[in-house]
Amino acid sequence: MTTGVEEPTGQRDAPPWILSLLVGIGVIGAWELAARTLYAGSYRLSPPSSVVLEFIDNRGLYSRNLWHSTRSAAWGFLWGNLAAIALASVASLVPWLRRSIGAVCLTTFCLPFIALALILRVITGPGTGTPIALSALAVFFTTYVAALLGFDTAPGSALDVVRSFGRGRFVAFRRVRLRASVPAMFAGLQIAAPAAFLGAVVGEFTGAHKGLGILTVRALGALETDRIWVIAVLSTAVSSGAYLAVGALGRYLCPWVPALDMATVPAARQEPGLLNRLGALVTPIAVVIVAWMAFLWVFQLNPYFAKTPIDVWSELFTNEDAATTRSYVFGALGTTLWTTTLGFVVGLIGAVATAVAFILLPWLERALMPIAVALRSIPIIVTTPVIIVFVGRGLLTTTAIVAVMSFFPTLVNCFGAMRRTPVGVLDVLKSYDARPRAHVRNAYLPAAVPALLASARIAVPTSLLGATVAEWLATGNGMGAIMIIAYTQNNYNVLWVSVTVLTLVAVVCYWLVAVFESRTLERMVPGMSR
Amino acid sequence: MTHPGAPVDVVGVGRTFAIGADEVVALRGFDLHVPPGGFCALIGPSGCGKSTVLRLVAGLDRPDEGTIDMDGVSPDGMRRRQRIGVAFQDPSLLPWRSVAANIRLALELVGRRHEHKAVGELIELVGLQGFEKARPAQLSGGMRQRVAIARALVTAPDLLLLDEPFGALDALTRQQLNDELQRIWTARGTTTVLVTHSIPEAVYAADEVVVMSPRPGRVVSRHRVSFERPRTRELLLTDGFHSAVEAVSASLHRSERQVVQIDAETI
Repeated sequence: MTTGVEEPTGQRDAPPWILSLLVGIGVIGAWELAARTLYAGSYRLSPPSSVVLEFIDNRGLYSRNLWHSTRSAAWGFLWGNLAAIALASVASLVPWLRRSIGAVCLTTFCLPFIALALILRVITGPGTGTPIALSALAVFFTTYVAALLGFDTAPGSALDVVRSFGRGRFVAFRRVRLRASVPAMFAGLQIAAPAAFLGAVVGEFTGAHKGLGILTVRALGALETDRIWVIAVLSTAVSSGAYLAVGALGRYLCPWVPALDMATVPAARQEPGLLNRLGALVTPIAVVIVAWMAFLWVFQLNPYFAKTPIDVWSELFTNEDAATTRSYVFGALGTTLWTTTLGFVVGLIGAVATAVAFILLPWLERALMPIAVALRSIPIIVTTPVIIVFVGRGLLTTTAIVAVMSFFPTLVNCFGAMRRTPVGVLDVLKSYDARPRAHVRNAYLPAAVPALLASARIAVPTSLLGATVAEWLATGNGMGAIMIIAYTQNNYNVLWVSVTVLTLVAVVCYWLVAVFESRTLERMVPGMSR
Repeated sequence: MTHPGAPVDVVGVGRTFAIGADEVVALRGFDLHVPPGGFCALIGPSGCGKSTVLRLVAGLDRPDEGTIDMDGVSPDGMRRRQRIGVAFQDPSLLPWRSVAANIRLALELVGRRHEHKAVGELIELVGLQGFEKARPAQLSGGMRQRVAIARALVTAPDLLLLDEPFGALDALTRQQLNDELQRIWTARGTTTVLVTHSIPEAVYAADEVVVMSPRPGRVVSRHRVSFERPRTRELLLTDGFHSAVEAVSASLHRSERQVVQIDAETI
């Protein structure tokens, strides 16, 4: 039979890592050269040699702060994943709770972390509470989805065996589902590892005593470009190290299963019909309002800064200066949405175009794909300060960061989907001597549509997060900026209004993309979408 | 509408694959001759290189040694002139295209979109009327194979290459599609090479059955099959058919090269 692995004898390429190494050396060389010539004395780009020297000179400072952030991330990773797996277990065991639990988990994914960091900072004080809590929240959704997916992939025949011995769903869960979920669980944990680090760093942005986050904020204020670069490189290294380590552990523990790519998992099944689709939107909102009230009630927080949904409602609609608040908040929201959408679209289109280029030009793919895969695994947000010092502090900074953030995951996912185009289909096209353009139009692009839509859906909340971080750290416009202003002015009403509005916008956008995704897949291939 | 069809001459072809650090010799000294408008069936044990032969003839792969020639044109040349139709065991349909659009794809690829009338004719020929707008996911396995065969035929190719197109189907559907293949081939006279696992299928369909050896694949025996056409299912019950099947079956187990003449009238 035909397989993709057949290669004519006598044509052996150099191992791919040599090419990647050469490209890596080339990039570092070009970077050094550009920093020493084009950007000399501009505070925008540090040459790699200065970055290394800065690290060696202050290695004590960096290792202390790195240790601090990593420890917070580790605790967040532990608690967030435990909570996610516990909730996924409940959702698997109690089916009628599944939708509500899913709704809460999705909302945690859509929360504006920046604002949350500010609110948590008020509640927990200057310690490690905020970084740990944010870390836990950052890993929560992906692990929940992965664990539930794992529980669902348990073979039905094995479940039937348990049932045939007269045992119930608890035994089936413990004996079959838990075991079956390990590969999917590791796929989730692998994504969670860098996300936990991201959560810790963002949590430290809001005024921790120690950690890479606060170090970055200070360095940005003092325009210490070398320091910003050192932190970005350290964060990247730790994030990708954690990603690789968890991946290796997963492969070691279950070598028989191919790696699962979480980003290509389609949206949760939506029953057709407007009512059901609207239900998928309203349920999370309702559940979250209840959870919000419960949170305030359980912790008995000071109403001076802990606002209820009713406070937010009156601030927006019934207070005497509600109109002012509305125009203030929605004006900022407009800016944020405009810059985010632009970056989002640029990132997605660029990713698809690059994936096509990689498919058509294998040498380009061999040279650049390893870099793209590495960059996909790291949370781009931790490198935001670098982008800020490089691009500047204009509105386009937000767009650039969102574009970069959505670009890499989409590229890797779409390229993977294109490469999984069945060999038979390509053979048919080739047997008619079809042009590359016909290959792209008839096979590669349609094959990438599900991956593109799934990536776009996942990129919605992360793009909004990236945008608010950029606005907060750099541009001084949009929602990120009004939240930090509200925080410094103790204007907790506006802060909570901003959190609410941003979360709603993220949930609605996610929902819109999910509806578009399932409708497109249903139209493309009836009966195929889950 | 009868087409002259292209003759196929394969001489001394060898092909070796590198799989990891190992080298696997798939074919060595392989010869095949199919006259214009002929129907040749290739049969042999799993992994004997049948599919490799087909891919080489289709110009999807190149031999390491030997030559393949079709009326003075190389397989690559035939492919570039868009005169080949292929159908594989996996129908390889585009899931987002309807039945009609999947068949039309071949016309689009060869830049003859205006011949869309042929699509309707082919749909009728393979018996898929009423399913023009269905997507592949809504069809049964046999129906999908019909679409793949219609797609291979719609450009009226000079050479039709079929790689176990009915391999994954149940016996009844297989026989039905074999009957239809018969009919189509008789109507069009396209030179056809069919790779199959099934001896009865090969004997039923072909003018000549070529038996291949285990890897590295080469020709063990050639069996001329001269039952009258059109062949019908009654043929399956005749002694002549059975002895032909037995002859092919016996030679599958023998390694010597031989040529056996089977003639329905003489038995």
